[in-house]
Amino acid sequence: MIALLQAEWFKLRKSKMVPIILAGPMIGLFIGLSANLEDNMQGIEINEWYISLFSMNLTYALLFLPLISGVFTSIICRYEHQSGGWKQLLALPVTRGKVFVAKYILIMLLVLAMQILYLGSIFAVGIVKGYTDSFPMEIVWKSIVGGWVATLPLVALQLWLSIMFKSFAAPFAVNVIFTLPSILAVNSERIGPYYPWAQPFSMMYIGGNTDDVFFVPWEQVLTVVGGGFILFFLGGYYYFQRKSI
Amino acid sequence: MEYIVQTQNLSKSFGKEQAVSNLNLQIRKGEIYGFLGPNGAGKTTTIRMLLGLMKPSSGTIKIFEKNITKDRIQILAKIGSLVENPSYYPHLTAYENLEALRKILGVSKTRIDEVLEIVRLKEVAHKKVKGFSLGMKQRLGIAASLLHSPELLILDEPTNGLDPSGIIEIRNLIKRLPEEYGMTIIISSHLLSEIDQMATQVGIVSKGKLIFQDSIEAMRRFAQPKVTFKVNNGEKGWRFLLANGIKADYQNGVIFLEECSDEKVAHIVQVLVQEGISVFRVEEEKRSLEDIFLQMTMGEQGK
Repeated sequence: MIALLQAEWFKLRKSKMVPIILAGPMIGLFIGLSANLEDNMQGIEINEWYISLFSMNLTYALLFLPLISGVFTSIICRYEHQSGGWKQLLALPVTRGKVFVAKYILIMLLVLAMQILYLGSIFAVGIVKGYTDSFPMEIVWKSIVGGWVATLPLVALQLWLSIMFKSFAAPFAVNVIFTLPSILAVNSERIGPYYPWAQPFSMMYIGGNTDDVFFVPWEQVLTVVGGGFILFFLGGYYYFQRKSI
Repeated sequence: MEYIVQTQNLSKSFGKEQAVSNLNLQIRKGEIYGFLGPNGAGKTTTIRMLLGLMKPSSGTIKIFEKNITKDRIQILAKIGSLVENPSYYPHLTAYENLEALRKILGVSKTRIDEVLEIVRLKEVAHKKVKGFSLGMKQRLGIAASLLHSPELLILDEPTNGLDPSGIIEIRNLIKRLPEEYGMTIIISSHLLSEIDQMATQVGIVSKGKLIFQDSIEAMRRFAQPKVTFKVNNGEKGWRFLLANGIKADYQNGVIFLEECSDEKVAHIVQVLVQEGISVFRVEEEKRSLEDIFLQMTMGEQGK
């Protein structure tokens, strides 16, 4: 399994994904620096760090986090599709299950790396703007880890689709089709909590219920995120087992 | 008798189309098994099933006397393969391609240089495979299949796209492997001449059926020359020959014999002349292996 992860990382490392992993956090950084919500919020008692996060999270969590994690899965499957990589890989003494899991773990590690870079962006914005309030550590746990957890089912579905379709565009199109409505979904109290693509935003949104482990109720994490993860992961896993190469 | 590869009634159908039907392959250790058949006969489908890339519709596959569905990992650890078009990662160099596989196979790094040396890709080892010619990609694929010094090498059309010198090089390499490393090799091709020069054992498939499986010598025996006699009265002459105890065949006004020594030809001519039949022509008709192969596969397709 470790050997398989190393091999996957080796192949992925060489496929120019550094600009992609930087795109989300960089855009977050620009938005954070250019937004001027501070002026509108004068008089409201709130930790300064949260103010820039409101505007940063909006584009990052709503769009870039789900879309870019989908791009990662496309890249990790693309070089297998291109020139018979699948048949060479699967004719080696490896099980398909392990290949699937190794690819999944690697993507989740990349998403985690992106989340950590985004945390760096948050920090950079605060330093540039000269915030004096203490840095709220709960952002790290709730927002960064929460957003990461919320991508678990999305990445599983994307991996399924990326293995199924040879084309780079098809899984991405599906991802866009599901991601864009989350702009509407997050505004709806009825649909928002159940829409998997809206979960990264909901879980990174600071205004949520702060008594729970994350910014959303625990039941919602378990059912929507956990349930979605199990459904999509098993679906992709079994699809890959049966696929004729 | 110990078989390295043995399939029993191996079949695969795609919808209504029967791609492979009731294939019984038997391949012994140390052999170069030529797997021969026209394009679309089911060679690649069979090879994919041997490697567990595709599940058979019915039938069993035993490799190293183990069942592929149960002990796939153990079996694949001892197999090197090159299936259809060469597989590679275009964004990596030749060396990196092998490195990615090496990490999984867990062999030493020096093996990469060794196999690159064997297929003569050392000079381009650090160039991206994207820019390689088909022949170079093919050689890289062979290098990859040799990486873990497998006991069984399965090569699907390995000389496709190679130039003549490349073909000779690969052919010599393939011939060397069983002697030097005790490997067993399955090599598929649609060209008989290719197989003829390497294989010790031949299996011919046509329309998914195995229509011939024996040693290459047995196949060559089919290619014995035939002697034909053109005479003024074929049927009469043929009866005289039979009356004189000479087994001959008669078809379309021509008398012909298989396996005919010089003395026998002289004797036949003598008999015919004595009976007052004019002998116009005595010809030797050589049948190439190619003709036999064509005849075998055509016959199957005509049905």
